[in-house]
Amino acid sequence: MNLKSLLFAGSALLGTTAAQAGGFQVNLGGQKNIGMGGVGTGLAIDHAAMFYNPGALAMVRQNGVQVGANATFARISHVGENGGTQSNLQKDIVTPFNLYASFGPAEGKWKAGIGVYTPFGSKLRYDQNWEGRTALTDIDLKSIFVQPTVSYAITDQLSVGAGLVVLAYGSVNLQRDLPLTSAQGNAHSELDGHADNTFGYNAGIYYKPSEKISVGVSYRSKMEAKVKGGDVTFTNIPASVASNFAAKKFDVTLPLPPTATLGIGLMPTEKLTIGIDVNWVDWSDYKTLDFTFDQPINGNTTSTSKREYDQGWTFRLGGQYAIGEKLTVRAGANYDKTPVKDGFVSPETPDADRIGLSAGASYNVNEHFGVDVSYLFEDFMKRTQSLAELQAKGTADDRPAGTYKTYISIPGVGVHYNF
Amino acid sequence: MNTSLKFVLPGCAVLGLALTGCQPELDETNSARGQADFSKYIAVGNSLTAGYSDGGLYREGQLNSYPNLLAQQFRTANGGEFKQPLFSEDQANGSGYLRLTTLDLATRAFTLGNVTNNLAVRGQNPTLYTKYTEPVQNLGVPGIRVADVLTPGYGSTAGNAYYERLLPTADALKPYATFVQERMAAENATFFTCWLGNNDVLGYATSGGVSPITSTATFTTNYTAIITALTANGARGVVATIPNVTDIPFFRTAGPAFRVKLETNPAAAGGPIPQFVATTGPLTNSPATRKVILTSDINNGGAIGTAAGRQLIPLTAQPYLALLGQRTGKAWRDLYAQARPSLGGASLGQFLLAQGVDTTAMFGLSAGNPLPTSLVLDDTEQAAVATATTAFNTAIRSQATAKNLGVADMNVFFTNIAANGINTSGINNTTGFISGNLFSLDGVHPTPRGYAVVANEFLRNINDKYGSNIPGVNASLYRGVLFP
Repeated sequence: MNLKSLLFAGSALLGTTAAQAGGFQVNLGGQKNIGMGGVGTGLAIDHAAMFYNPGALAMVRQNGVQVGANATFARISHVGENGGTQSNLQKDIVTPFNLYASFGPAEGKWKAGIGVYTPFGSKLRYDQNWEGRTALTDIDLKSIFVQPTVSYAITDQLSVGAGLVVLAYGSVNLQRDLPLTSAQGNAHSELDGHADNTFGYNAGIYYKPSEKISVGVSYRSKMEAKVKGGDVTFTNIPASVASNFAAKKFDVTLPLPPTATLGIGLMPTEKLTIGIDVNWVDWSDYKTLDFTFDQPINGNTTSTSKREYDQGWTFRLGGQYAIGEKLTVRAGANYDKTPVKDGFVSPETPDADRIGLSAGASYNVNEHFGVDVSYLFEDFMKRTQSLAELQAKGTADDRPAGTYKTYISIPGVGVHYNF
Repeated sequence: MNTSLKFVLPGCAVLGLALTGCQPELDETNSARGQADFSKYIAVGNSLTAGYSDGGLYREGQLNSYPNLLAQQFRTANGGEFKQPLFSEDQANGSGYLRLTTLDLATRAFTLGNVTNNLAVRGQNPTLYTKYTEPVQNLGVPGIRVADVLTPGYGSTAGNAYYERLLPTADALKPYATFVQERMAAENATFFTCWLGNNDVLGYATSGGVSPITSTATFTTNYTAIITALTANGARGVVATIPNVTDIPFFRTAGPAFRVKLETNPAAAGGPIPQFVATTGPLTNSPATRKVILTSDINNGGAIGTAAGRQLIPLTAQPYLALLGQRTGKAWRDLYAQARPSLGGASLGQFLLAQGVDTTAMFGLSAGNPLPTSLVLDDTEQAAVATATTAFNTAIRSQATAKNLGVADMNVFFTNIAANGINTSGINNTTGFISGNLFSLDGVHPTPRGYAVVANEFLRNINDKYGSNIPGVNASLYRGVLFP
């Protein structure tokens, strides 16, 4: 009997992915920055400088604590190559947050602080029985980073800073259907694991030659999130082929890319601040996503899915205007050039070039306490991949051909207390 | 929809997106009928059109028939209701069908069982099915050949039980072509698909050359008649060509394993077996021609030819292959039982005598007790199949040209699938038996997934011919073989 490829030639069994940024690295470091199109590297606005440019922290005038939280509503639509029914994402809310506390002598040259934020994360649950169900049904990635930071003003005009970036918590949950059906329904696999703690750094330089202009450069190092001994769970595997699905544990490594940003701040008047950031994310190490299993699945202890990511670029422009002593309003825009090349878009990061528009405001209740609100809307360009394109890139066996379109809406609110 | 931001933003204000959705709408889902009118659709054909699968016609297969899928997609434009002669829920298993009962991954052995409960069988000898004489639009009749479409009485109890089922008893003598024309007129049909002709060559192939091939003259005359009936009232439509039957798993599954078995016969049992003996050609009253087949000429699953072997062994031969070398007459007795109605009352002894068979000789290894012709589709028979398929497809295409109809070239489509497989939303499907997802357990008829890709191929041609834009079905949502 020619059952040699009983389990479906070409379908990499657990081959999917881990989402990471690219698609959902929404730059949500601080509420004020979010309202200004995500700029910040060339500015010293508040304690979120720890995230945007540690070098600028020493120039932030006050000590204080600030907390922000965002609600991310992603709406993804997909239509298969043949047209037909549109599949949607189930309506989940993800809540990235940020927290910063900094301290330094009032007139001193240095400042220290700690930041906690969530730069990578994704939660997507596609429609039940959507056409790409054997590529992905659910993904839930969470990460929390902690960053102790110090910054030092070398002169009144020049400061430097660096932070130790700690991946304090990381988890991954990936689910997909297997192309195997029995009377009980479709077979399903779930990978669930936690990342080991790991370290990197974030460093920057800030230079403000005059009252009207400032410049900043920052760099975040590459990190690798490693999951060892995550749990593999199969459900609805037909009894006759159960011995082919013996794996219980998996390992996987996800690269978190290095990022460099150049920022410029312009202060034409005392009330108006304008920021421009150019951000570069080097995804080029993300060639493949490789899972290793403790026991063979369908004869293999590894599974590989092609990524071949490129470099990503983001251009940001934003500003704030102080209407009075208490109220400041903000607006901004960004354009994100995707690192995901044609033929490599997969359901866990249905990425595309995108435009973001944002607005925000701060209201200072008194000289110490204030509230910051922000809103960001991102419109992803419609992106279509044909089967022929996928086949040409060798990616047709682990992702569906078709068209994606995404909106993300992110309202956020924060409070700050300075002293 | 390429909605620009100025339209999106007001509707997707902070709470708007949170509470009401603001889901992007993709215009890839749009549907348009073009020059075609799908309001009344009628499907004509054989088992493939009826939704036959796993060696039987049953409700799940009917619901997943390609005409039902087409009608479902037509409804995205101006399509209407599509009435099928569905078996009732109580009799959902219809004629009965095959299921996979065991599968052993280590030995690659499997067994098939018969589903025999909740059948729609109303009489035995001959088998008759519960009638469905309401007006229907899926006129697919399992087993029908183009050669049968003008035959009076084909719908009688002595004819085709699936056709008999659709006719009121008083209409038993109505030829199929007349039935089609009446249904087209009664429904005021605007659109049709016609996929006929497979059985005119398939029957010959699956019987290893025992059943006759329809003559090209008869095929052309009858096919013209059926197309005339379909187009009499001005309906537009698409016809489909006949695939190469030698690509189906029915002919590609038993042979490779048999070849390995002969090549690796243990030394204690005499070592590798270099050849076996079979008969070839139709059953006649004189001793059938013996044909010595080299083991190295049994097709190993590769492209048919001298490199991969030329001789094909049908799935139905599988139970007998294990008997090779034994002094047994089982294969010949079973063939006799099947062929008996056409043997003019000959007894088993007379039949064996006429064939020159001595069942005390070693089965398959001696000229005295060869494999019956029905267990091998040899190279000569394959050539006859290829010639007929080409001739029939020429007749189909020329009728399509004459009546300005679309052609769904299923011959090219399936040849391409046999060579390259077909990908549906990240799942690679092949013509492999059980594992390939496309062919059901009879090795001939598609699974629901297989019928879904057939529906999409029809739609591609319909859209192409009529300038319509009917979206395809998401084939990956339809099942392949059910595993135990």
